[in-house]
Amino acid sequence: MDKPMNLQQIIEQLDLTVLTEPRDFSAIEATGGYTSDLLSCVMAGAKSGYLWMTLQAHMNIVAVAALLEVAAVVITENAQPDQATIDKANQQGVILLSTPCPNFEIDGRLWEMGVKKA
Amino acid sequence: MNLKEIIEIVDGTLLNPQVDTNIEIRGGIGADLMSDVLAASQPDAILMTGLTNPQVVRTAQMADIRAIVFVRGKQPQEQTLAIATQENIPLITSPCGMFEGCGRLHETGLPSFESNVPSD
Amino acid sequence: MCPPTKPQTEQEIYGRRGRTITDRDAHDISRVEELSYDLKVHEVMSTELRTASPDMPLSEVLEIMRIHRISGVPVVENDEMVGIVSLEDVVHALYKGNLDVPVSACMTREVVTIANYESVVKAIETFSLTRLGRLPVVDENNKLVGMITKGDITRGILIALQKDYQDEEVRRYRASHLFEDIISDRTTLVLRYNIKARDFNHGGNASSNIKRALMRLGADPQITRRCGIAVYEAEMNLIIHTNNGGILKLEVEPHRITMSTVDDGPGIPDITQALQPGYSTATEQVREMGFGAGMGLVNMKRCVDTMELESTVGKGTKLVMRILVPNETLTGHSHG
Repeated sequence: MDKPMNLQQIIEQLDLTVLTEPRDFSAIEATGGYTSDLLSCVMAGAKSGYLWMTLQAHMNIVAVAALLEVAAVVITENAQPDQATIDKANQQGVILLSTPCPNFEIDGRLWEMGVKKA
Repeated sequence: MNLKEIIEIVDGTLLNPQVDTNIEIRGGIGADLMSDVLAASQPDAILMTGLTNPQVVRTAQMADIRAIVFVRGKQPQEQTLAIATQENIPLITSPCGMFEGCGRLHETGLPSFESNVPSD
Repeated sequence: MCPPTKPQTEQEIYGRRGRTITDRDAHDISRVEELSYDLKVHEVMSTELRTASPDMPLSEVLEIMRIHRISGVPVVENDEMVGIVSLEDVVHALYKGNLDVPVSACMTREVVTIANYESVVKAIETFSLTRLGRLPVVDENNKLVGMITKGDITRGILIALQKDYQDEEVRRYRASHLFEDIISDRTTLVLRYNIKARDFNHGGNASSNIKRALMRLGADPQITRRCGIAVYEAEMNLIIHTNNGGILKLEVEPHRITMSTVDDGPGIPDITQALQPGYSTATEQVREMGFGAGMGLVNMKRCVDTMELESTVGKGTKLVMRILVPNETLTGHSHG
């Protein structure tokens, strides 16, 4: 794989909404992607530096994302996390992004942009 | 896209060869939340999922999903296989993760069949 | 020395088409078996008889066989069967270079026959015992009435299977015209299912049966799908959330479909909150099964035309959902 895409490029190209506090996204690289709505699967399969795509928007995703040190969580289908979840993400340095696209679509677009599994 | 093509694209293995696999798949869905599939899918899609319980098959049946791909080489529970065979729904296991499987299928032109805007 | 045992063919080991026999196959096979007992020889035999007389020269018999593409001709004298001449007999005579001899000189006199009232399975047994290719069929007075071959049997069974299929079509047709055929001021078809709490393995069975029933009744596919999704979410709610399960009921009327559930607890403390997308009281275990994302009630509401939810904590919950059937499609007017 070529040089990994950085978050800035991904956010721009896919028109993602940033839900957490802004920061220098160009300094963060996405080394791969992992899609699952099951926390146990994500724990088992997602690696540090990956983008994690999920429809889940509840509090538990923040803890899992922080633990795995994923590059960012992309919440699909405009699922809306509540303020407590966003606050907790900011506290723990987890980036939450959002898109109206469903999992299948966003996976496809990322794949075609060159974000493959590492 | 014919199901047989899809099986090849995701390096899949058909788990219930008794069922009819000569079917047209019109779109793709990647999800582990069955309510999401029930809420937002369009008929005649293929579902990629990490879930292997019988609910996946029942969900597929209710939402008129034509085939199910289990990601990361997962094998379905025995009962899942039994229900799927009875309901004539092909079950496929693929070594791909959901991200890669959806990526590969999308790349060959299979559209997303999930919409956050209700279709009906 | 004994000949070596013939190895079993794949077909013998695995059944038809080299695969394991499924329940469906078993059903089909047993239906064929059943039919071979039910069907009588006279129902499948061919009655267009080509016969020879004992003094007919063999060359003429060969001509009959050639024209009608048959391989055996019964020999009849004074309305009574006296023998049968087969293609094999003719070839044998040809080998001796003499086709001018009369039929009586080379026909088989000991004729194996089968009675017209016997079941087809008897004919199959006779074929396999005698290794004959055709059997003359006689009536109770031993009078020749037809001929039967293995091909006739296959054809007969196929036709009978086809009729079975048509009968299923007729059943489906009748179900879809239920509301036309039964006259009343108000006809309602009620289906009830008892749903057990925590019975995840059977979750969806009731909904599956409901969907099938609606298809048989001839409901519009869109409506069937909406009902299926709504009722499945409701069924899963009974399994996930109730103390003791509950009752799922479907009422079908020509102009509307009503789906309802009742349970005896625990009840929903705040219905407005429960209807919020994403709100869920489900455990992480239920979430890992793909449910409890707080979409169920939202989903149901979206699928149906009206939804009423009543609940009392400690008493239980009652859910009623209705889908209106436009143009009364369930009466079969637009789907007949």
